[in-house]
Amino acid sequence: MANDHSADIVVVGTGVVGCLIAQQAVDAGLSVLMLEAGPRVDRWRIVENFRNLPPSLRLFHWNAPYPPKPWAPHLETRTASEQEQYLQLEGPNARAYLQGYVRYAGGATWHWAGICWRLTPEDMRLRSLYGVGRDWPFGHEIIEPYYTRAEYAIGVSGPSDPMLQWPTNGKRSKPYPMGPIPFGPGEHRFTEAAAKLGMINLPAPQARNSGVSYDGRPACCGNNNCFPVCPIAAKYDAATALPKIEAKGGKILANAVVYRIETDEKNSIQAVHFFDPDKRSHRVTGRLFVIACNGIETPKLLLLSKDERNPNGVANSSDQVGRNMMDQPKLTAELELQEPLWTGVGPVQSSSILNTTQGDFRGRHAGAMFRMENFARSPLGAAAALKKGLVGKALDAEIRRLSACTARLTVEHEILPSANNRLTLSSQKDWLGINKPNIHYDVGDYVRRSAEEYTVPRLRRLAAELGATKFQLSPEFLNSDHIMGGCIMGTEPATVVVDTDCRAHDHPNLFLPGGGAMPSATASNSTLTMTALALKAADAIVNQLKHG
Amino acid sequence: MSDSYPDDCPTAFSLTRRRDVLVGGLLFGAIAALPTLPAVAAPALWSDEAAARFMEISSLLVPHRLKAEIGSRMGAAMMALNPALLQQIDGLLSIARAKNARVVEDFFADVPDGPLKDTALAIISAWYLGVVTGAPDAEVFAYEYALMYGPTRDVMTIPSYAISGPNRWTADAPPLSNMPEF
Amino acid sequence: MSNPSPHLGALLIIFAATALAGNCRAADPPHQAAAEIKRGEYLAIAADCAACHTAPRAKPFAGGLPIGTPLGTIYSTNITPSTDFGIGRYTEEEFSQALRRGIRRDGANLYPAMPYTSYAKFTEEDVRALYLYFTRAVEPVEQRPPSTSLPFPMNIRASMIAWNLLFLDSGPFVPDRNQSPEWNRGAYLVQGAAHCGTCHTPRGLLMQEEDSRALSGAQVGPWYAPNITPDPISGIGRWTKEELIAYLHTGHLSGKAQAAGSMGEAVEDSFQHLAAADLDAIATYIKTIPVVRDPADRVSRFSAGKMSSALAQLRGRDGIRSDSESDPGGAELFQGNCASCHSTEGQGSKDGYYPSLFSNSATGARNATNLIATILYGVNRTTSERQAFMPGFGGHPTDANPLSDRNIAALGNYVLTHYGSADTIITEQQVAEVRWGGPSSPLLALARGGMAAAAVIVLLGAALFIIRRRGAAAWRAKRTAPCT
Repeated sequence: MANDHSADIVVVGTGVVGCLIAQQAVDAGLSVLMLEAGPRVDRWRIVENFRNLPPSLRLFHWNAPYPPKPWAPHLETRTASEQEQYLQLEGPNARAYLQGYVRYAGGATWHWAGICWRLTPEDMRLRSLYGVGRDWPFGHEIIEPYYTRAEYAIGVSGPSDPMLQWPTNGKRSKPYPMGPIPFGPGEHRFTEAAAKLGMINLPAPQARNSGVSYDGRPACCGNNNCFPVCPIAAKYDAATALPKIEAKGGKILANAVVYRIETDEKNSIQAVHFFDPDKRSHRVTGRLFVIACNGIETPKLLLLSKDERNPNGVANSSDQVGRNMMDQPKLTAELELQEPLWTGVGPVQSSSILNTTQGDFRGRHAGAMFRMENFARSPLGAAAALKKGLVGKALDAEIRRLSACTARLTVEHEILPSANNRLTLSSQKDWLGINKPNIHYDVGDYVRRSAEEYTVPRLRRLAAELGATKFQLSPEFLNSDHIMGGCIMGTEPATVVVDTDCRAHDHPNLFLPGGGAMPSATASNSTLTMTALALKAADAIVNQLKHG
Repeated sequence: MSDSYPDDCPTAFSLTRRRDVLVGGLLFGAIAALPTLPAVAAPALWSDEAAARFMEISSLLVPHRLKAEIGSRMGAAMMALNPALLQQIDGLLSIARAKNARVVEDFFADVPDGPLKDTALAIISAWYLGVVTGAPDAEVFAYEYALMYGPTRDVMTIPSYAISGPNRWTADAPPLSNMPEF
Repeated sequence: MSNPSPHLGALLIIFAATALAGNCRAADPPHQAAAEIKRGEYLAIAADCAACHTAPRAKPFAGGLPIGTPLGTIYSTNITPSTDFGIGRYTEEEFSQALRRGIRRDGANLYPAMPYTSYAKFTEEDVRALYLYFTRAVEPVEQRPPSTSLPFPMNIRASMIAWNLLFLDSGPFVPDRNQSPEWNRGAYLVQGAAHCGTCHTPRGLLMQEEDSRALSGAQVGPWYAPNITPDPISGIGRWTKEELIAYLHTGHLSGKAQAAGSMGEAVEDSFQHLAAADLDAIATYIKTIPVVRDPADRVSRFSAGKMSSALAQLRGRDGIRSDSESDPGGAELFQGNCASCHSTEGQGSKDGYYPSLFSNSATGARNATNLIATILYGVNRTTSERQAFMPGFGGHPTDANPLSDRNIAALGNYVLTHYGSADTIITEQQVAEVRWGGPSSPLLALARGGMAAAAVIVLLGAALFIIRRRGAAAWRAKRTAPCT
């Protein structure tokens, strides 16, 4: 087999985690090769794809502007049958693991909301404090400097007033690099209503440029399209990092689908193998390998790579690869209100309630984050008004009313890691003959109790406070697209997959950084923590190769 | 399944049943009523004259600025789905003329339920949504010029377009009764 | 200004120190010296010394800014009062010679990257104020910038003598008694400190500024400094004086023009800080300079184009786009790359932050250089009012959304057809040229080719003028890459 490429560091995946590690590595003078399964697509094409979508697909079908290549399938949801094509889901809450990541260069940050919450110190000590879940192998003071570096690396805007920062009790070594993004009318009113219930709606720290340019990217101008695509790259996405990596000598190979990790006699990683779009196989050697393919593709690749030394798959002597799959099980409520709320001004998400994620109740049920969605509701208002058969001025008035006087509230629950929430290889194969991922998912009683006793009653009170005349709750838990677990972190090699630097316990030159390593999920968006872990891993990687 | 529940999934999600349900139809009730076949190329009988009649009835049904180029494309696509379109337009035009109508309110009450009213509503829907079918691969004739964004254009942007310069939007909102011009 | 010669001994240091002390004129009351220093600081801003002598994120006036030129890299010098690395040893007279005659302390000629032909207009008093400011108020930076070493024959600094003989005006500014003091102040600033002609005045065969066509427009690296004479068609004759003042103060004039490239920087570093009376004086003077009309211009570049779009035909035709389709049209490139900020029909944002693309100097000019350069390099101009930022689309290697020469030509032609000078056509080659740094001059090739000695000398001077202009623009373009 041809040995086609080689580099000091081979990074599989070009999402935020892979790109940040690549940037640290090229800055340290190491050679880097990045392999991306999907294509590399110009932003303007994705923007135009979005605008050419029929209205029924412009909202909620976030992958629709990203048609997958046959060799790099990902979730598509235009029809129910299409939705079942790639991810094979089972279990009581299969629907809640319908993860819409993107197999394009730049990864899922193409359509993330850009929200950058930090964990609280308590979030990292669930077992010690509440007797549930797992503790992190290190404390908040270890991750804090990486949070700060992550905020500067991707450009996070956030409030300077400590009363509006999260966590309220965590040290913060530097202010946010940019000030907060202003609220629109809906967020303003929602904040007031929530406050009456003791729920504190905080301006979200967000990787979106506020008022000024940052790192060559322009400031947000309220395009209200953070997902499915920021048309101007005011929101950080990893696609914006690709030219910066190349400018420093890093190499990026798109349409390279890694399907096997090869070990040597000492069980170090020796190479990875990828298929090109012509189904030809290539071998890539390196000194160190980073698998940064997000929480589903990374365990899938490890399981695919089993060999005689690693009969359960690479990095899997603990049998924990693919277990502990997590996300934040989500419920939504559609409201119709007496008075206008006017969501849709500014970014699609710009604030959240987090004080509801913390408390001694975590011994019994999950904490949860509440949010009002801030997307423009005019298309929904128009569709609903047209359905009523209205015409002329009455039609316009009803569109305006339904756009202003409706809202969606969301609550995202903290889930506990469970060995039974497990990714395995499906017997179904994709276009290249690679097994599709199969995931069994049950949100568990911890989450169900929270919905019953804690979150749904609060949603109803929030709705009442907003003057809701209709309240329609989603009938089951939904995905939040925050994939965590699968390659969980810890100090005991028998029970976890990676060490505190996201290095595989089984292989000294294999790193599995990102959300997969997180031993607790908490109720808030995971990307900043993934990013902090990536920077921590990058330090270890550079140190290992330079002095190692 | 509740067809009014707007979410990214059918509410009674099941992995093995529910094939070929159009998610779009669930979301956008209005277009769910429309044919779900994708529009095919304009048939030969679509002409400038037909386009003119389509624009004439459109301007009576929809009290806003309409682009003739878009109307011509949408009309052709609608006729491909509904061969009786031109006759129905003539029927609508004669009702409107009988009432000396200048706006839709002047004659719409006189339009009988059935094909004529369905066609009138379909034409209105097309101008507001920019599509003539609810199919997931429907051809989009208008996004920026789709009228659905008009009634809120003083507050919200058309998604993906700037609302203002950086951070210049505010928490102030105008009264519901201030209908913008569009 | 140059690095001091290493051959100078301690004696000379003492000598210089004495001269400096002499210049302090112990008799001056302290407040008078303070006022002169303050004036010197102001003049240094008006002359935009920092533009070249302060490198990004480096200490003020420490030099070391690399100015990439086709002949090699020129590094700006340290003009802080460091005795070893800066101008600490310069007497006022030596300072004046360097500033106004392009002759440094050791007698060698400066490359005309230093605009001494304009600074020659400085009055004695203002030279003194500048001298006091640079020697007393600027922090010395003990750091030697990289030295400039151009290849032969460009390394013969003496070659500038001949060119200076031909084209360097000798005297300082002489007021015109028939004009108002305000007009004279404006003329002094425009011709001297602000050195507007350096960019806006076209060059003759030997790259001298052509006085007969003063301020009628010229190429500056990848940008074009347009006609700013008061001609109503080719120039800015339809601007009111207030508009011109507002433009200089903010770099932005709705429905007319926005400052980018070197002019964006001039607004940012210099004009926005000038006193209202001085901006008024500059505008007063500019409104009276002789008009220059390009007969090929039919309409003012500020009035071309109109609100429109191709969306009625564009939408839905292709549906989902492939990443491999190599030759997209201008309309889709425009909608996908530009319209998100400049709005669906090119009208800009409602609040005017994003300018309209019609009635806009960059699109309305028959010369499309500024449109191409704006697409490639973007805009990054910060005034006290706000930052005006547009990302580049591939002019910097780190740009997030790079476009090819072919794409930019298609996009640019769409913009010209709909919003600007509809008869102008952009070719892929033109885009490549602007990406490289601007059109090249045949003079450069001649100078390099080796000719009769006299010609070499003259042409060398000419060539160096080109590099100063292109070089400055090139680094300015580069400076827009890193920000915040």
